[in-house]
Amino acid sequence: MGCDYCDIVDRNSRAQILYEDDTTLVVVKDLVLIPGQITILPRQHFTILELVPDEIVRKCSVLASKVSQAVFDSLEPQGTNILVHNGLGGGQKVPHFAIEIIPRREGDGLNLQWPPKEVTEEELEMVVQQLEPEVKKLGDLTQIKPEEPQQKKKEETKSEVKEQKENYLTKSLRRIP
Amino acid sequence: MQQLTEEQRKQLEEKLKGMTPEQIQALQKQQCIFCQIISGKVPSKKIYEDKKCFVILDINPAAKGHLLLLPRDHYSIVTQVPEELLGHLFVVARNLSQVLLKTFKADGTNLFVANGAAAGQRAQHFILHLIPRKSGDTLLNQEEKLVDQQMVEKVKIAVEGKLQILLGKKEMPKKEPVIVAEEKYLTSASAKRYHRQNCAFAQNIPEENKVWLSRESATSSAREPCTCVSGKRIPLSKDGKKSRVKKEKAAGTKKSEPKKSSQQKVKEQKSEKGADLDDIARLFS
Repeated sequence: MGCDYCDIVDRNSRAQILYEDDTTLVVVKDLVLIPGQITILPRQHFTILELVPDEIVRKCSVLASKVSQAVFDSLEPQGTNILVHNGLGGGQKVPHFAIEIIPRREGDGLNLQWPPKEVTEEELEMVVQQLEPEVKKLGDLTQIKPEEPQQKKKEETKSEVKEQKENYLTKSLRRIP
Repeated sequence: MQQLTEEQRKQLEEKLKGMTPEQIQALQKQQCIFCQIISGKVPSKKIYEDKKCFVILDINPAAKGHLLLLPRDHYSIVTQVPEELLGHLFVVARNLSQVLLKTFKADGTNLFVANGAAAGQRAQHFILHLIPRKSGDTLLNQEEKLVDQQMVEKVKIAVEGKLQILLGKKEMPKKEPVIVAEEKYLTSASAKRYHRQNCAFAQNIPEENKVWLSRESATSSAREPCTCVSGKRIPLSKDGKKSRVKKEKAAGTKKSEPKKSSQQKVKEQKSEKGADLDDIARLFS
């Protein structure tokens, strides 16, 4: 209870599901910035982006691209926005990571622009230096290939699902006199 | 970007007509300020780079620490970016988002992409914006509105087909229908019948006893198809089962009662698993 997006996953909501697979869903919510907005969310409950594993981040981003294309093809907007509200301060309303695809038209009344700040060279340089130590710790992100543990995880979840199915079915079988 | 006069535009259009796609791409790259930044011809405040992407500070940021994630190759909008690269950009964004939260003690971040001028795109290079947020700032905060169910369904109907087509080629094969299409059946070494994979009996076969049969080997073998394959009812031929049926018949009314309750139980279980609202409503009525 409590997570609106988990309710969508459990089909306990008015949202309509466009696509789903073992890790992700593409849905149309009834609470949106603009009609035509489409939401991509992982099946599993991750509150913020930082907690979402690589494989699912990748999957969601690819879906974001595909949904953009599908929106272009069907609703024929003049543009689309891809938006992630991450964290309470980031405007996140539901504690479940999601990517929003927002179809856009000239004069649609949505304001997703920000007033550009004028900053000095020194201020920018300071930001670079502040970020440097933490960014260095990341190393080369193309080098990270966590495929093996990811696959193991997948197998685990799959076998779990199977077990659940078995339990459910064997139980219902036992009930038949 | 700079405005072209009518003449310049015409000239450019004619030029473009006579060019190969590769030449057009090269021209785009030449014209693109971000391509020049990536190649080092224009100075920038670089935060991170690897062989696929390049991350710089926005010189007119929405907030302190506003980052621009750029693919090294030139793409205009998200749908042109190859899947692998797009995935990498989002993974880099996640890692940098964490850095921003830590370094600037931000209360959140936004990922933002604009595809097309109507969406606020200014440059012709795909950009993934990563913007640190503080509670209380009103960046990108727009009220969500409740739309009626008809509209939700309209959107679903409009987009669903196109999306399925786009995903059909790649994503669907992962799902179970492929196994059905291959018509593989399950049985165990000692079993007399074979089953579909999703059959309840098949689920009961312990993992170590499972034997997979192709359609041909299943039909040519001495094993009989389960009802899940043939669609027929199971003939109650075994003595034990017969006698059980007789007993139940003798018991008369008792037989129907447990059946009902088992159905109810199944229903209850369904509702626990998040069945339709209708199902739940029926349980209460």
